Amino acid sequence: MNSSVNISSTPMLEAVAVTREFGANRALDSVSLAVQPGEIYCLLGANGAGKTTLINLFLGFLEPTSGEVRINGRDVTQDGLATKRDVAYIPEQVMLYGVMSGIENLQYFAALATGEDLSRTALLALLSRAGLDESAADRRVGTYSKGMRQKVGIAIALAKNARALLLDEPTSGLDPKAANEFSQLLSQAREAGVAILTTTHDLFHAKQTGNRIGIMRAGRLVESLTARDLSHQDLEALYLRHMAAQP
Amino acid sequence: MIVRIARRDLLELFRDGRFIGAGAVVLMLLITALAVGWQRQVESRTERVVAQKLDYDDWLAQPERHPHDAAHRGLHVFKPEMPLSMIDPGITPYVGSTHWLQAHRQSEVKFRPAQDATGLQRFGSFSAAWILQVLGPLLVIVLGFNAFTAEREQGTLRQLISLGVPLRRLMAGKALALGTALWTLLIPFGIVALIAVIHGTPPDQRSDAGLRLLLLALGYALYLGIFVGLVLAVSAFARSSRVALTVLLGLWIGIAILAPRAVADASRSWFPSESRRDFNARLDADLGERYQRAWNSYFGDNAGTPFGYKVPLSQWGKALQIHDQAGYETMDRHFAALWNAYARQQIAQEWFGALVPTLAIRAYSMRIAGTDFDQHRAFSVAAEHHRRRMQDLISQDLVTHADHRGEQHFSYRAGSDFWRQIPPFEFHPADANQSLSDASRSAAVLVIALICAWTLALFGTSRLSR
Repeated sequence: MNSSVNISSTPMLEAVAVTREFGANRALDSVSLAVQPGEIYCLLGANGAGKTTLINLFLGFLEPTSGEVRINGRDVTQDGLATKRDVAYIPEQVMLYGVMSGIENLQYFAALATGEDLSRTALLALLSRAGLDESAADRRVGTYSKGMRQKVGIAIALAKNARALLLDEPTSGLDPKAANEFSQLLSQAREAGVAILTTTHDLFHAKQTGNRIGIMRAGRLVESLTARDLSHQDLEALYLRHMAAQP
Repeated sequence: MIVRIARRDLLELFRDGRFIGAGAVVLMLLITALAVGWQRQVESRTERVVAQKLDYDDWLAQPERHPHDAAHRGLHVFKPEMPLSMIDPGITPYVGSTHWLQAHRQSEVKFRPAQDATGLQRFGSFSAAWILQVLGPLLVIVLGFNAFTAEREQGTLRQLISLGVPLRRLMAGKALALGTALWTLLIPFGIVALIAVIHGTPPDQRSDAGLRLLLLALGYALYLGIFVGLVLAVSAFARSSRVALTVLLGLWIGIAILAPRAVADASRSWFPSESRRDFNARLDADLGERYQRAWNSYFGDNAGTPFGYKVPLSQWGKALQIHDQAGYETMDRHFAALWNAYARQQIAQEWFGALVPTLAIRAYSMRIAGTDFDQHRAFSVAAEHHRRRMQDLISQDLVTHADHRGEQHFSYRAGSDFWRQIPPFEFHPADANQSLSDASRSAAVLVIALICAWTLALFGTSRLSR
């Protein structure tokens, strides 16, 4: 595990006693967590546990019913636009414009994120860092596989040079090679001091890349663990125990 | 950021074929309508100028005769063709353009003030204005119905929001894309229209025609801007592109097709105007009474009915003069009442333009083109003044030269010297500034509708992140 976590600074991503209700359904129940710069926090949990809801709260797509969500110390609800400058988001399915090529998509989103028009060379370099073959860059995204779209999404996040990454099951559907490359990219980002909050079903990935691992169940953060203190077996046993206890 | 968003949207419109497909159809229709309008205007203008000259030449060339015979022969006057009538013929096709100025009665030839058909509002003939008013909004819908819904459906909206793209800028970018697409189509049409208008306009009227064309372009920019706002609003509120398209097509049918007719009919029930038969009956009855009073007042209570057997021929010219002049006020009153009813109907429709912008742009477009009812009324009034001038000169000539002949009154013959005293008819339509002033109400209504549509769009856009 890396040792670049800066625990003395303001958490880059922070949820403070966050509750979110949809009518009578409580999707999140007083969840608190903090992700420091240079830290990867992996959230595990079954479908419907509240992982994506938490990501959506950080992105400002939802507002908390109570509690506070902060990015770099700023309240997302109060200061939505400013907080988005610090984060990049990679969803499970990276959504792009099908009639445009990969490089055109990257150019567009990167320009919106940074305010700069990057050169073709710079764009190709970003795609290459994300693992997309140069020959695919000028093909329309409509012809891309999920993994290729994911790589363009990663390139967009790289272009933004964000201080925090929000990843919603980013390796879901990726082949092992692509998933491994993605893990390496995350590690590089962590080394660069980026705070990363990622949801996943992949225990191996969580143990491999995360500094800390949280387990969510029925809207509550029931465990928050330090990855290095756990073996794969311990993590698996703990996770299965919590899932079995699920109502 | 706004320009980048617009550029991307335009790229998509271009690549998915909508811009080229829908745009080409509308542009082709516009150019065709303009060509048809131009040809009609050129022919009509030539015909009217020639006919006006021939008719007056015939007047001057008529043989020596009793002036009242000449009054019944009368003169024909022709409403000048406005330069922008090739774009918006307005009500002209329905109210005619020719007045026959003859003795005793205000002309109704071809102008049917009390016609009980849909009259002023049924001018939806094939013209460039009609295409812009009816098909223009449809083009905006086709180009923009999925502006936001497509982003939502393909998931790119979340991507954009997560990047920190302010929603108002996103909306502005999309509006800019739609606006650019529209102007890319309409500017070539505008250039062709400008050439056609300049070519079809006498040199001394070209600056006025150019100004009118500019004002017309601004009006249609406002009008299409309303639909850009409306389309963005619906696209922002709708859950899917299919819903957005369905709602927008429903709105289009309502706003551009059904509501204008319904509001026109409603305005006639709020401010009723007489049928032609009723109008003529009331006018005749009132005139008869008025003539009789004037007759008795001059000739005494035992003078009988006007122009009955008791009129001495030594006063026949005077009788004609009294008779004609007695009717002027009555005719003015009746026609003013009728025309004012039309005007109130028109004003009501214009105010409804805030809800049904097609009504507002119709009114604005006709006024700026000078093909509206007020212009027609001004022409009719000018024609009637000319008729009265002619009648008064003729009556006075009879009083001066024929009445003293007593029983030989009808032996009097006037000649070319007298015919020349009747001047040729001249009508000067309102200039562009006056037309703009007349169109200020409908322009204000368009601005109100624009503000409403864009407020709705802003509200809808602000909800996108939810």
